[in-house]
Amino acid sequence: MRMTEATGIFFYNPINGIQDPIDYGELSAYIKKYPAVKNMFYYDDFPWNEENILAKIRSCGLERLIIAGSKPGIVKTLFAKVMAIEGKDPDKVILASFNEYGIRRKTDINRAKSVLACAIEGVPFEMAAMPDDLPVNPATLIIGAGIAGIQAAIEIANSNNLVYLVEKSGTIGGKMATFDKTFPTLDCAACILTPKMVEVNQHTHIKLMTCCEILEVAGDPGNFNVRILKRTRRVNVATCIGCGTCTEKCPAQAPSEFDAGTTMRKAIYIPFPQAVPNKYMIDAESCIYIKNGKCKACVKACPVPDCINLDEQDQEVTLQVGNIIVAAGYKVFDAKRMPQYGYGVFPNVLTSLEFERLLNASGPTGGNITFRSQDKKGNWIFSPDSEKPESLAIIHCIGSRDKNYNKFCSRVCCMYSLKFAHLILDKLPEARVYEYFIDMRSFGKGYEEFYERIKEEGVSIIRGKTAKVEEKNGKLQIRGEDILLSKIIENSVDMVILSVGLEPSEDTENLCRILKIPQSEGGWMEEANYNTDPTGTIKGGIMIAGTCQGPKDIPDTVAQGSAAAARVIRNILNGKVSKDIDTIPLEKIENRIHELSSIK
Amino acid sequence: MSVRVQPELRNQLIQFGIGDWNACYHCGTCTAICPLSEEGFLFPRKKIRLMQMGLKDQLESSVEPWLCYYCGDCSKTCPRDANPGELMMSLRRYLTSKYDWTGLSKKFYTSEVWELAFILLFAALVVIAFLVILPSMGYHFTKELTADGGVKVNSFAPIHIVEIFDWTMAGVVATLLISNILRMYYQIIWKKSKTKVSLWVHIREFWLLIFNFAVQPKFSKCDDKRYWLSHWLLMSGYTIMFIVIVVYLPWFQTEKIYPVWHPQRLLGYYATIGLLFGLGVAIIGRLVRKDVKFQFSHVSDWLFVIMLTLTATTGILIHVFRINGMPVATFISYIAHMAVLVPMILIEVPFSKWSHLAYRPFAVYFAQLKKYAVPK
Repeated sequence: MRMTEATGIFFYNPINGIQDPIDYGELSAYIKKYPAVKNMFYYDDFPWNEENILAKIRSCGLERLIIAGSKPGIVKTLFAKVMAIEGKDPDKVILASFNEYGIRRKTDINRAKSVLACAIEGVPFEMAAMPDDLPVNPATLIIGAGIAGIQAAIEIANSNNLVYLVEKSGTIGGKMATFDKTFPTLDCAACILTPKMVEVNQHTHIKLMTCCEILEVAGDPGNFNVRILKRTRRVNVATCIGCGTCTEKCPAQAPSEFDAGTTMRKAIYIPFPQAVPNKYMIDAESCIYIKNGKCKACVKACPVPDCINLDEQDQEVTLQVGNIIVAAGYKVFDAKRMPQYGYGVFPNVLTSLEFERLLNASGPTGGNITFRSQDKKGNWIFSPDSEKPESLAIIHCIGSRDKNYNKFCSRVCCMYSLKFAHLILDKLPEARVYEYFIDMRSFGKGYEEFYERIKEEGVSIIRGKTAKVEEKNGKLQIRGEDILLSKIIENSVDMVILSVGLEPSEDTENLCRILKIPQSEGGWMEEANYNTDPTGTIKGGIMIAGTCQGPKDIPDTVAQGSAAAARVIRNILNGKVSKDIDTIPLEKIENRIHELSSIK
Repeated sequence: MSVRVQPELRNQLIQFGIGDWNACYHCGTCTAICPLSEEGFLFPRKKIRLMQMGLKDQLESSVEPWLCYYCGDCSKTCPRDANPGELMMSLRRYLTSKYDWTGLSKKFYTSEVWELAFILLFAALVVIAFLVILPSMGYHFTKELTADGGVKVNSFAPIHIVEIFDWTMAGVVATLLISNILRMYYQIIWKKSKTKVSLWVHIREFWLLIFNFAVQPKFSKCDDKRYWLSHWLLMSGYTIMFIVIVVYLPWFQTEKIYPVWHPQRLLGYYATIGLLFGLGVAIIGRLVRKDVKFQFSHVSDWLFVIMLTLTATTGILIHVFRINGMPVATFISYIAHMAVLVPMILIEVPFSKWSHLAYRPFAVYFAQLKKYAVPK
């Protein structure tokens, strides 16, 4: 039976600096064909308050209210309250949330129409908008081999399906491989990760492709044609025995990417000792031969014939896959953008990633916390021989929750900062540790308990972000306000750690363009539905996992990796994959709405 | 002592130009970055908290808004775009209206109609005075020139009458200002205070008032010293003009044309240049809106610079027309000058933005007194 109750539609489109892309005029013209709709109101027609809405319900005799807009949930309580006051059913306030269904652009108008039509007829959008299916190729492409990509790859490969795991850098492991410990359990990050990395390398169903970048994705869900640029390592992975003779002889140096620039590596190098694949590679930017055409020290030193080929060129590879999981990860906020904290000016102002390396037992100092010092060539590096700091300050929210940089909370900084405090006291029991925070976000399982534990360990936790870091008499002077005391606090410390926030990785924008996935506010990849489909996208056969979807910690990242893998395995088991949601013609959804509403 | 949260105060504060008062999440960056914020007188964050909670009494008895010279560092570094600098500016407007016992200040700050109506009223009175009252008393405009070719200004604006008027106006304004300062003193030092300040401290620290009035040393502590300089030029130019016009009018408003290096002309030129430079900086700043300090312009900010600019330019015109022997033009520009000057002094000084000439140095003085307060 079709819906006949008198329905009023309220278009909630307040403009908060962002232009609402939806053409509400077109929408209102469209829904005239639904007889249940008696009236339509716009946000700027009248002030939305109890009296006015009550008056409209009474004068138009409305039984059901639909609030349509980008984020209509904000005003739902107001309408429910009015319905209750009027003695009507507050449950008959229905939301048509465009944001929830990824409607962000002018071109999404048909989906907006169908979401609204579903709300009018009381049919769940997910049931009405069922895309057609296509047959699926069982091979899967995973973009990014951090912990999310590794997790997803292992899950899918263990279901006996082929996975191409594509990684841009020379090793898999991603950011997690650089961490010392995980919070709140204080497990050794490498001890968790490296077995998974080895499993990836040895798995018969995983084809690992490092130094690769996605160029183009063509075709339909279930049968994608992916063009991949395979950047040359200039070292033959099959024959390299990883002896390290080449590195010893190489005269060129560059800052190590893996150590967040805190040590120097050679131009021919292995990113880190546990790298997978554990083979050498050449960095074209620092290699003398590639720049000047003279050197070849590594080729002369290499014991394996023809293993190093300095003139090797990049190649293009094409893959046929049925599903794609994007796990492109994040980058950290560039602390130099906030000059008041002195990063890049004072050598002992560190970012959190640098400090992770400093803490790490396999890091540049063997896990000793020491000052940054200059090597013979004048590069600022960490070395185990430097002095140890006696007092350290950790400043939270650098580049996060800041309208000048990133508005969002990066979710992990509070917890990793507390972890730092613990590890510092672990290694330097006499040190004084200060945490400067604004709000402490210890939201997860065991996190609040972890926070309590750190407090008991004697860390000075100060509420109030600092305003600036300056150097005075060889010490770092921190000036901030203690909010709880309402006093200016000036503090002299030896080392400052900036808890930098997370940002979408450099490749996110490009990948979104290639894959035709929209980006959310802040640049993250947009999920199909924030609540109910966080690893899906509006594109059929393309899933997202990990921090490319939004800032998150390791447990959540791993969970998303598995969740995305489950979706892929479902598609493979069913032998079919849904087409893109935006390919369904409006008429088809309308017919389906009609069908479903008649069943009711 | 417990306090009551009064969210209704926000509606009042919004009228004085306070924008997003709830954006602040209390990270303390503004207080820590501020070169003027010091122990015992911390701002802006603490004041923002008072606004968020609507603690009216504590807001009204705070001296800190006057200790802020709006360099804009806080607004620049604020992670929440809460504009603490502008919040402090708005608080100064609010406090001005609270010190004023007539209630006119609040009217002028919150209603452009009131402000414009009063300006027009005073301007009209000035015009009537020159066109009706003074001629009826026998002082007529004449086209005759003096022996050295200057305009006979004293014919239509007789010095002894203008002088009486100047003194009267200065007296009215001073009375209003002094009574407001006494109210300010009561709010900051006396009200609900558990401490007292000895008379000796009052006398001993009095020099601070003079010193701060003359050179604004606090302003010069802001990181950008240029604004201190342009403000000082404007302020010194204005003070010179005020003194010569009120106290030495017979010496200043002469029919005789002195040579260029005569102190009468030199002082006048310095004052004009100082005024125009300071005003130029303010007007260009407010139009370009590049500096945080000038990004938000309340109606009262614009009225102040516009009226002062008009006063200065009409003053220049009087001078130019007079020495060049152009009687009609001199007459018109004299009336125009007075028609802008009178409302500006009567409205801006006791009730609006210009009252800061008294409140700021007194605030520094009162803050110093508070430092030496002892328990009652």
